[in-house]
Order: sequence, then C-alpha cells, then structure tokens
Amino acid sequence: MQLKADHGAIRRQLMLASCSLLGVATARAQQAGDAAAPVDTSEQTFESAISYYHEDGRITAIEPMVSLHSDDGNGTQHTLSAVFDSLSGSSPNGALPSSKPQTFATPSGSSLNSTAQTYTTASGQSTTSVAPTYVVDAGQLPVDPKYQDMRVALSALAQQPLRAFDRWRFGGTLSWEHDFLSLAGNAGYSRDFNEKNTTLSAGLNEEYDLLKPIGGAPVPGSDYSLFQKQGNKNKNGVGLQLGVTQVMTRRWLAEFNVTADRFSGYLNDPYKIVSILDAQGNTTGYVTEKRPGERLRRSAYLENRVAFDRTTVTVAGRYMNDDWGVHSSTLEANLRWWNPDHDRYLQPSVRWYRQSAADFYTPWILASTGNYSTLETADARLGAFHAATFGLKYAIKISRTGSLPGQEPSEFNVRLQVYRQDADQKRANPTALQDIELYPALRAVMLQVGYRFAY
Amino acid sequence: MSLREPGLWAAQFSAMGGPCEALFHGVSEGEARRLGTMAAAEAWRIERKYSRYRDDSVIGTIHRNRGRDMILDEETARLVEFARECHALSDGRFDISCGVLRHAWHFDGSSRLPDPQQVAALLPRVGFDKLRWNAPRLMLPEGMEIDLGGLGKEYAVDRACEQLATECRCPILVNFGGDLRAHGTPPRGAWQVGIERPGQEESVALLLDLARGALATSGDARRFLLKDGVRYGHILDPRTGWPVVGAPRSVTVAASSCVEAGVLATLALLHGPGAEAFLGAQGARHWVLH
Repeated sequence: MQLKADHGAIRRQLMLASCSLLGVATARAQQAGDAAAPVDTSEQTFESAISYYHEDGRITAIEPMVSLHSDDGNGTQHTLSAVFDSLSGSSPNGALPSSKPQTFATPSGSSLNSTAQTYTTASGQSTTSVAPTYVVDAGQLPVDPKYQDMRVALSALAQQPLRAFDRWRFGGTLSWEHDFLSLAGNAGYSRDFNEKNTTLSAGLNEEYDLLKPIGGAPVPGSDYSLFQKQGNKNKNGVGLQLGVTQVMTRRWLAEFNVTADRFSGYLNDPYKIVSILDAQGNTTGYVTEKRPGERLRRSAYLENRVAFDRTTVTVAGRYMNDDWGVHSSTLEANLRWWNPDHDRYLQPSVRWYRQSAADFYTPWILASTGNYSTLETADARLGAFHAATFGLKYAIKISRTGSLPGQEPSEFNVRLQVYRQDADQKRANPTALQDIELYPALRAVMLQVGYRFAY
Repeated sequence: MSLREPGLWAAQFSAMGGPCEALFHGVSEGEARRLGTMAAAEAWRIERKYSRYRDDSVIGTIHRNRGRDMILDEETARLVEFARECHALSDGRFDISCGVLRHAWHFDGSSRLPDPQQVAALLPRVGFDKLRWNAPRLMLPEGMEIDLGGLGKEYAVDRACEQLATECRCPILVNFGGDLRAHGTPPRGAWQVGIERPGQEESVALLLDLARGALATSGDARRFLLKDGVRYGHILDPRTGWPVVGAPRSVTVAASSCVEAGVLATLALLHGPGAEAFLGAQGARHWVLH
C-alpha cells in the first residue's frame, strides 16, 4: 500500500483543508444561506414593457418596449432594445392665453387665413381646401389640438472585458420620428481597483440630430405670421462622463459621476412661438422662439444604495447647470421592501425637482420693446418650476423550474407614477389677462406593466 | 425534546436519511428547543442544498448545466475545493465524481457482479481531474456527475455544532446519524458515545468517551455483494471502478472536525486491508470493526 506521504502528512493537510472549509464558511455561509447557489453564468434575458402616459388635458402616449440582453458570464454582454412611442393629444405651442380667440396654423400651414382657398394646378384643374389652422377660444391655453407623433428608437450596447479588471463598452442609438432623426454613439472604459471595491469609468458620447419640421424650420425670432421657413436643420452634441463607484461597506454602495456636454446647431423647438402683448395685455402678434446656437451643460450626480436584509434604500441627488442660466437640482429616494421569501417587493419612490429659468425665458414679449429678434422662448420647459413625482412599483419574481435563488429569475412588475409640475417666479398678469391662468400646473400619470423573462 | 438525564436535553429529528440529535447540557427546555430547531434547520438546509435527488438542489443545477461554465456560490465552491484537496491527498482515491459508477454497481446483497466491460466503459466519466475547476468556476463535462453526499453529513455536523457554539456557552453534542462533534464537556468530563456493530444496530460494540472534537464512522454492512466467497463492500475505488476488497466492516476515526474524521475514515476503507496501517501512520485515533 503506497501512501502519498507518511507519518501524518495526509492528516495534517486534511486538517488544514478542513479549517479553510469550515473556518470562513461559518461566518459567510450563514449569511449566504440558501440564497447563494451555483449560477450558470451565461444568461439571456428578454424584457418587455408597455407604458401609458397621460398629461391632464394634453398628451397621451403609449410606449411599448422590448429588449434582449445576453451575458456570457465572463463579462461579455450585448443588449438590443427597441422602443416605440405613439403620442397623441394636444401640445402647447408657447403662446399665451388671450382675452380674444386666437388663430394659429398647424405646422404644415403657411397662412393664418382660415377661409377656403382655391388652387389651380398646372394642368388647369382647381382644388379647394381649407387652410390648416386651428382656433383657440378666449382664455384657453393655446395648444395644437391634433398633435400626433410616432417615434421608433433602436439601441445596441456591447460590453467587452479586456483583462480581469477592466472593460470597454460601445453603444449606438437610432431614433426616428417623421420630423426628426437622431443618431448617437457612445464608448466607455471602466477599470476596477482595490479588489473590485472601487471602479473608475470614463465615457464619451456623440450625437447627431436632423430636424425636418413639417413645413420647414422657422427662422428663429421671426414674425410668426410671415412663415419664414428654412427647410431642414441639424444639431450636434458631444459629451463626456467620469464616474467612480465605491463599495463603502458590505451593505453600502456609493456612486458619483460628473458629466459635461455641449450641443450646437439649431437648438430651437420649431413648433414653439412667443406671444407679443401690448401694454394692456392684448395679443398683437407672435414671434418664433430663438435660442442660442450652443449649449454647454455640466452635472454632478451622487447615489447611495444601502441594502439591509429585506430592505434596500436608494438616495440620489443631481445638480446641473448650463450656460443658458438653467440650474436644476434633483433629489430622489426609493425604498424596496422584500417579502420574507424574497420573491416579491414593493417599491415606493419620491422625486423632487427644481430648476431656474433660462436667461432668455419670457412668457411673453411686450410690443413696446420693438425688437423681437433677441433671444426668447416661452417654452415652459425652460421656465422656472418645481416638480414632484410619487411612484409605487410592485414586482413578483417568478423562478424558473428548478432554478435557485442565486439565479436571476423572471419578473413581472407594475408601476404607477404621478407627476405634478408648478411654475415658479411667475410674472404678474397684464391687465387684460387678469383672470386667466397663465402658468397652468402640469399633472401627469404614468402606468407601466413590465415582464422580464430569463432563460 | 426529551430530558436524557438531569440537566441534559436532547432534541431529535430526522435528516440526511437517518436519526439526528443535538444534546445540550444545563439549559432550560425552551432554550434547548430553540437550539435544537437551529440544528435541524441547518441539517435540512444542507441536505436540501446538496441533495442529488432534488432538481432544485445545487447538485441538480450543476448537472443540468453540464458542459457550461458555472460560477459556484461561496459555500459550494469551498466544498468542491475541499474535495479537490482530498482527491490530491489520496492519489485519486477520494473522488466526488465517482457516483457514475452506481450505474453499474447495485449493492443489494446479491451475487450479481457487473460486466467488467460495463465498468470499464464508465471510467472515462470518472475523475476529479477531468472537471474544469478554477474556484469558483466549474465546468462539468458531459456524462459526468458530482456528489457531495460523502461530505455533506459530516459538514452539516460541523456547521451545526459551530453555529450552536456561537449561540450558547453550554456543552453541546451534535450527532447526525452516527457522525458527531462535541463542543464543551458535560460536568462528568466527557460525552459517552456508543458505536454499533454493523448489521447489529441494537448492540453497542464500543463505548467511547469524547471530550472534544469529532467522530465519524464509515462502512455499512447492508450494502455489499457476495460472490464466490468474496465480499464486495460498497466502497468503490474510482481509479479501477471496482470495490475495495478486504476492507474492515466499519472504521471510526476521531479528529478535530467531523469532515476531517469522515474523510480519514473513508480513505482508510479505500486502503482495504491496509486501513489500520493507514490510520496508524496518520496518527489518528481510530476504532476498526472487522
């Protein structure tokens, strides 16, 4: 009988091996318990969701989304996703309510004259049509009542490990609307330090947008009634992100990142106009909005996630400012409560947002200024406002037959969010508009149902 | 829950295919019940996690993912790593991948030996060195199986005992189907442990005093084949695919932990007639029944 080693050598080595099996195992396996299990590291996930978004009295959107994700378990990941948006309803055109009815042209219109027009074609036939205009009643917020849009967005993302401690990612997005086309690409690099407790990452993204407004892009700051259009326009963006993710303790993860981006080109909303008022507040005309040809934005974001046995708390804040004079702060928090079996959770969330107005934001222009070609916008999204979002999400994890809790299970979830936005720094109403709400609050509700299938 | 003698509570339950008990000295009945429940929960957890009969066990999952790269959870990875060290230390005698041989061998007390060709055909599917193991990554080749059952009971005894020791400063004895570990000694000075003679479960062949550490027993009289006067015990040598002939009926080894004692006992049986020489050379306290 040949023994590998004599005189207790096997026993001594076995004792050492037993110690490393039991020594640490006692401390760690206790907490891991049944939750840890072998995970087949390659995984494919199919995700789908449908959202319904409704703004009180304005837009309704239905947004289905599908996404495919594959992960080979060694760091190589691919994601393909498609989003389809269908918007309909009415969208504010930027003009103020007035004490008299107001007539506007739809984007395809070229005249504010609403009487029937007769055109004679080259072949001698004549056709009669009604100019595409809409009339807004006195006291009502001017909205384009037949606003309709569809958007299809496709995106792809690939992540590839280089070595055990670093990886690249590349991605691209194509977004298409009938009057808008956007192409974007991004690349990033991240590297782990400090036994993977620290991750530094850097990313660069580039975006190219083509605007093809119906009827052409208006000349910024031009008289609305003259319909000065200049065809298609474009804008470009480039951005940079730097981030650090740090494991603070076994239960606490912190993430901090800063971004800077710069957009240039035609940055106007081609469908937004600004009302011109006389000293009493009567509308005398409109001017197309005019924004600067460049925007430089900077932001900083901090997120903390703390996990307890059955609760995960996330608190995050973002500060952003740009050279248009917009400063914004966001604070958000959510709480995820798991049931004792860890197969269902309830996640209430709250988000608070506040922004200052762009330097050139003006809800109306006084006719007495005489000069309408300075920078101006009445787009409420560039005005001062604060907003709050309250959400509740409920999810059920559905384990695959024979799967263990360590594996990513399929999930069904439903989420409801309500949003309310109120304008700040309101200017006093002009006399003629004394009893009219010039800064209506925006209320919206979003309902989303999602299903993720892992296989 | 029963009072074995004044001051000594015993919690009994069934796990890992046999009767289990945990003994506590000098605690209240409620405390003993709480500790006993913990011991049972740990035994059931490990049994469920490593059962080879359950689809949803770790073993079931590993078997379903043959041919694919898997990352094992920390606890399983430690057990597989321990098994790798045992395989290396024993020159391949201790092998968690030898379960495939059960397809040929049925130890039912009969004289039906398998066809040697059938056994030989299974050997390419046996051998820890054929696994791709780079902790915690495992790739189990097609056709192969692993079974941690040879370690599971002893591991559960150690885990349960160490867990109870952090909960209670009282003397504890954990006994899962004859594999046991003590933590602390009762006032009398030692735990008394009876070792049964295989095949005669009612009689106690040996009465041992255990002051600390663990005892594990290997050998099972009911699982053998008998042909032409040769007794083929159920301990298979994974290198040949055949049972070790001439091994003792039962080997009991004392060591500081139950897994260590259990592996030494199994290795001793794998040395056949040299079992006692092996244990002697290792300087392990042991009791052998022929």
